[in-house]
Amino acid sequence: MTFTAPLGLFALLAVPAIVAIHLFRRRFPERRVAGIFLWQMLRQTPEGGGRISKLPITASLILECLAALAVALIVAGARLSTDSVSRHLVVLLDDSASMAAADARGESARDRAVRRVRTELDRLGSGARVTIVTSGDRPSVIAGPAAYGVEAQRALAGWRPAAPNHSMALGIRLARELAGTDGSLMIASDLPAMLRGEPDVEGALWAASGIAVANVGITGAERSLTPDLGRGAIALTLLNESGGRARRRLDVTAGGTSIVTRDVELPPGTSSLTLSIPPGLPAALVKLSDDALLRDNEVTLVEPRPRIVGVANRLRAGRGHDALARALAALAGVTKADPGHVSFVDAEALDTPAAAGVWRVGLGKPPARLGSAGEPRDFIGPFLLEKRHPLLAGVTLDGVVWAGAVPLAAGAARPIASAGDRPLVATIARGLDTDVLFNLDLDRTNLVRSPDWPILVSNAVEMRRQGLPGPERWNYRIGEWVRVRLGHEPKAPLRFRCGGVERTLPAGNRIEFVAPSPGGLLQILEGDAVLFELGVNFLDESESNVRHQATADAGALRDTRGQRGESGPASDPLFWILLAIAAAATVANWWVLRPRSAVRDPHPRRSAA
Amino acid sequence: MPSPSIDWTAVRAAAVRLALPRTLLRGRAGERLGSGTGSSLEFQEHRSYSPGDDLRHVDWAAYARSELLAIRLYREEVAPCVDLVLDVSRSMAVTAEKLRAHGELSALVACACASTAADSRVITVAGSDPAPLRRPEDVERLLDCALPASALEAPYLPLRRRSLRIVISDFLFPHDADALVARLARESASLALVQLTLGDEAEPEAAGGLRLIDVEDRGTIDMVVDDAAVRDYRARFGRLRLALSHAARRSGARFVHLAAGLPVREVARRLAAAGVLDPT
Repeated sequence: MTFTAPLGLFALLAVPAIVAIHLFRRRFPERRVAGIFLWQMLRQTPEGGGRISKLPITASLILECLAALAVALIVAGARLSTDSVSRHLVVLLDDSASMAAADARGESARDRAVRRVRTELDRLGSGARVTIVTSGDRPSVIAGPAAYGVEAQRALAGWRPAAPNHSMALGIRLARELAGTDGSLMIASDLPAMLRGEPDVEGALWAASGIAVANVGITGAERSLTPDLGRGAIALTLLNESGGRARRRLDVTAGGTSIVTRDVELPPGTSSLTLSIPPGLPAALVKLSDDALLRDNEVTLVEPRPRIVGVANRLRAGRGHDALARALAALAGVTKADPGHVSFVDAEALDTPAAAGVWRVGLGKPPARLGSAGEPRDFIGPFLLEKRHPLLAGVTLDGVVWAGAVPLAAGAARPIASAGDRPLVATIARGLDTDVLFNLDLDRTNLVRSPDWPILVSNAVEMRRQGLPGPERWNYRIGEWVRVRLGHEPKAPLRFRCGGVERTLPAGNRIEFVAPSPGGLLQILEGDAVLFELGVNFLDESESNVRHQATADAGALRDTRGQRGESGPASDPLFWILLAIAAAATVANWWVLRPRSAVRDPHPRRSAA
Repeated sequence: MPSPSIDWTAVRAAAVRLALPRTLLRGRAGERLGSGTGSSLEFQEHRSYSPGDDLRHVDWAAYARSELLAIRLYREEVAPCVDLVLDVSRSMAVTAEKLRAHGELSALVACACASTAADSRVITVAGSDPAPLRRPEDVERLLDCALPASALEAPYLPLRRRSLRIVISDFLFPHDADALVARLARESASLALVQLTLGDEAEPEAAGGLRLIDVEDRGTIDMVVDDAAVRDYRARFGRLRLALSHAARRSGARFVHLAAGLPVREVARRLAAAGVLDPT
């Protein structure tokens, strides 16, 4: 037995209700008597709210329960025949933001796709089983699996496509798994499969319902700060896909105050725009006037707060000291500080204790603890570099004469650059901090005059900068990884909230999560305290371009012959059986409880003799 | 409305008449000696002649002896007045058995009235004139038993002075037995109370949960009729019957309780034993 409307099984609650009525408000057999006053002074049973006593199993109770059971099964759409149950339809909805692009009548591809799916549901009938999947980098099931039409209708009504451009492959795979061998697959998108960049999906109906419309959107945005000049700026990349010049109004607000309002005329294609804004403003909301796609008309940008690295140059006077000073002078976001965050020292000083939080870069002959027996050697190559290490990013050591490299004790340090079996650059872990050893003779090597020297110095500073508390960046696209380093162990639960999305974060001083949709101002909180505010924005050129949307069907639902049209309840024999039982029980119950006359004379009248 | 089916053959076969009291009766001319003077053959007394007296009644022999004119007076002969009070409330028809017993009992008394050549009337309703009982069959049309209350519950009944009164009821209504019997017996020649109930009304059995509905709309109660309830009910019913019996005794009336379902002959025998009827 199957049920086409399982919620109707709630009607079964009528059965315990009937039992309760019989239990608490018993209907005793009636007896007509003369002189009831002789009984009234006796112990009476209250008419209502009496004690629970043994339930009298009466014909009336049985008949009423039987009728209620039959009616409940009818309401729940009980069916005997499995043939009458419709097949399973799996719908994959393209969740990309372009589905929300509205045409001149205000109708979007999303609206047409929903209408199309509803048409299919109506055609399948009330007993249809439906699973609705939305595409994306993480496809999700919003109705089902194998839900009834009512649930599917609710899911369709609440569906708002807003995801950045993505492949449908993962969604198709999930939908195929859910459809199995019996289900049919329907894909609703605003682009035909070929234009969407997807291969044809065999055995599925690809229903494209897009209409090409003109659109202007923000496809790139950056907020910068120049502290020395006391100036902030917002750089925007705008895409005009309207086929001609387009005029738009650009509003920038921060903290509810309008900062900049400007009418801009955009040429077709991509154009850039830079707006100067005062520094120190809270998150700025940049808004373009409305058009077909609202999703790409708005960005939230947070002013970056650069992490300044304090650097100390403790090399002894000489060409190494001078070369380091020149390299540091060329770096931004660096200040002189002692001990600072990173300290360049003679390598022999690596043997001395260092303050917590200070990374040391030692250059020269390593201390005796790290060295081993052997003569210093000079190398001109080849050098073996661990390219993935951030210290060596962009470093080649071409033309470098690496002089005075002494052997290192095995296991004393982790080599990241070597010549033969001799480590040239190595890292030494020191608790949460790191020391770097450059195993060379600064007075003899030409490294300090090579192009790799400023790169190495810059990499060392940036490596330390990444270790400072704060986020890697301050503004992100939806779907990008957000990485934030806390300067302390969290003392309260960590969470973030962004555009109505709120999630808890794992405890730790390093936080990583994906920038959530729909974006906006993202706050990272420790307990109720806001630690950081970041900007999360849509910024997707592919979705902003809605000039190629089209309406077309490709493929067909699998085995459409097996799908039947609307089937009413009368198509199943169980419906009529239950109806007959309910009617018979009702009539029988009336017969049992019918009012009876006080006198029934079993004897025929006999006239007087 | 229900009405009893009466086996008139059995009723007539019982062959009973009313048991008359020893007191002198009043009434129309009839077969029974009355309390006044009349034209019967039974001498009553002499009195002095007054002008205008019928000379045929002068006792000439006495005049010859005493030279005084005296008139011979004789006892009158009357037909006894019978007021038959029938309870035709719905309680008398609570079952077909009780209605049939009520019909047979009433017919039996009606036949007795006819056999006694009494001037009989039937009272069923307090507020209307009694119905004359010219022949026994007249009682049948009066027993529709559809009234919501018994005529006995009314404060006044159209009873005649010095009449023989026979009351047939189940007396299953709230009442004060002394007051009721005194009211019925006031200025009567005799009073007989016949209580007719079902066996189940006198001695009910335990029946479990029941919804008891009074046929005269006196209420409805749900109750469990268990042994204790039955015991209490029987005690109350016994007190009711005993109160009627004692009240009847105090008023010089006769009281008899009959259970429905008895054969007519047995009913006649019990009524005769109680002094209500006489076998012919």
